[in-house]
Amino acid sequence: MEFHFKRAFETLGPSLLDGVGVVIYVTLVGFSLSLIVALLLALGRLSKIKPLVRILSIFIEIIRGTPLLVQFFYIYYVVQIFINGISDMLGFETHMQIQAVTAGIIGFAINYGCYISEVIRSAIVAIDPGQREAGLALGFSEKQVMLYFIIPAALRNSIPVFGNYLVMMVKDTSLLAMITVQELLLRTKTYASQTFLTVESYTILALMYLVISLPLSKLCTIIERRLKQSK
Amino acid sequence: MALLDIKNLSKSFGDLEVLKDVNISVEKGEVVVVIGPSGSGKSTMLRCVNLLEQPTGGEIFYQGEDIVKCGKEVTQYRKHVGMVFQRFNLFPLKTVLDNVMFAPTKLNKLAKEEAKEKAIQLLNKVGLGNKILSYPSELSGGQQQRVAIARALAMEPDILLFDEPTSALDPQLVGDVLEVMKQLAKEGMTMVVVTHEMGFAKEVADRVIFMDGGYVVEEDTPHAIFSAPKDDRTKAFLARVLK
Repeated sequence: MEFHFKRAFETLGPSLLDGVGVVIYVTLVGFSLSLIVALLLALGRLSKIKPLVRILSIFIEIIRGTPLLVQFFYIYYVVQIFINGISDMLGFETHMQIQAVTAGIIGFAINYGCYISEVIRSAIVAIDPGQREAGLALGFSEKQVMLYFIIPAALRNSIPVFGNYLVMMVKDTSLLAMITVQELLLRTKTYASQTFLTVESYTILALMYLVISLPLSKLCTIIERRLKQSK
Repeated sequence: MALLDIKNLSKSFGDLEVLKDVNISVEKGEVVVVIGPSGSGKSTMLRCVNLLEQPTGGEIFYQGEDIVKCGKEVTQYRKHVGMVFQRFNLFPLKTVLDNVMFAPTKLNKLAKEEAKEKAIQLLNKVGLGNKILSYPSELSGGQQQRVAIARALAMEPDILLFDEPTSALDPQLVGDVLEVMKQLAKEGMTMVVVTHEMGFAKEVADRVIFMDGGYVVEEDTPHAIFSAPKDDRTKAFLARVLK
């Protein structure tokens, strides 16, 4: 057996760096959106409007009960057929073509939003009811109490868990290869099939993920420790 | 006209009747201390006064207006009624200073500088002028409770409600908190204090109310209550706590 790591690195490396850009972009945008989705879902599920709570619970169950990869396929291939079909019926000519990266970001926002909403919801429920009472007693409304005191404390308590999900999302971007996003895995696969440098290519790919995720989880540990100290 | 007039107040949690028929009236500048065994409904009564608990029946008149049915106006009313809790309930992510100045800036639209100045003044008054940038978790229970008092005072309430303010404190920390409360009483603050501190009741109260089983059993001057209680339940209770 003979390996050509140097050659593989020199030719695949620059392409992977571009891929890292895609991964970081998708993760940053996807994760930020997923936090917003999560907060809205959590607040919706804590609302007093029974039908809303029911609908959101079912939605979250559906998302959590199906694989992320299938959701990507669904958003990328199926949703646009629906949209085009419906607008055809209404008499519009549309040829909506969703971009693969956009489909990925939407998929992440929804999927991770559902998982993280459970984290935020339980963090909100876990806040000492005395906080609410103190806020109300000062003259704040229920909404203000939520906004000023409960949500900030709940989000802060959730930060360590957010960190775990962030690292997971970085790794899950590899699923986007299946819907043609030019991220790390797809670039590597293409390269390996052209050059037959299979061992080299996928080893470099794995290292690439480690280079991103190890420092990220280290950073999360540090932040977590800081938060504990300042409590 | 009494500042606060509680009439036929009742409160049930499901089948449990905690308050049956409570009548209390508080004049401006008066210090009323409420005593009684656990489960007598003292705290529930206090929580009904600022509508943290919705009364099941009866009226609560504040400056002649029934606030039980005030609906959305409740936040306006609560601004005039300060509350100090057994477990302090400070906001843990805010500094001591922010805990005190947050509500006036947000609710009374007080300018930041003005609110800060006033907050520092209040914190000096409760003896914590040197702790303004600390976080609640860095303070002792007694210090936290004094911050909580300053926080309530910052809204310039007409009346302050104390819900067992020293029950969660180590014995050696109780004194500082009571000292602050005595000072407030001396300055003419209207106060309703639910407490087990009989010494405080004797020394500071204008009137002592003894509650038991969801009723006001007896009310009188501290001297009369402590030296010559009329009702048997009052006698039994005082014999237990003063032994």
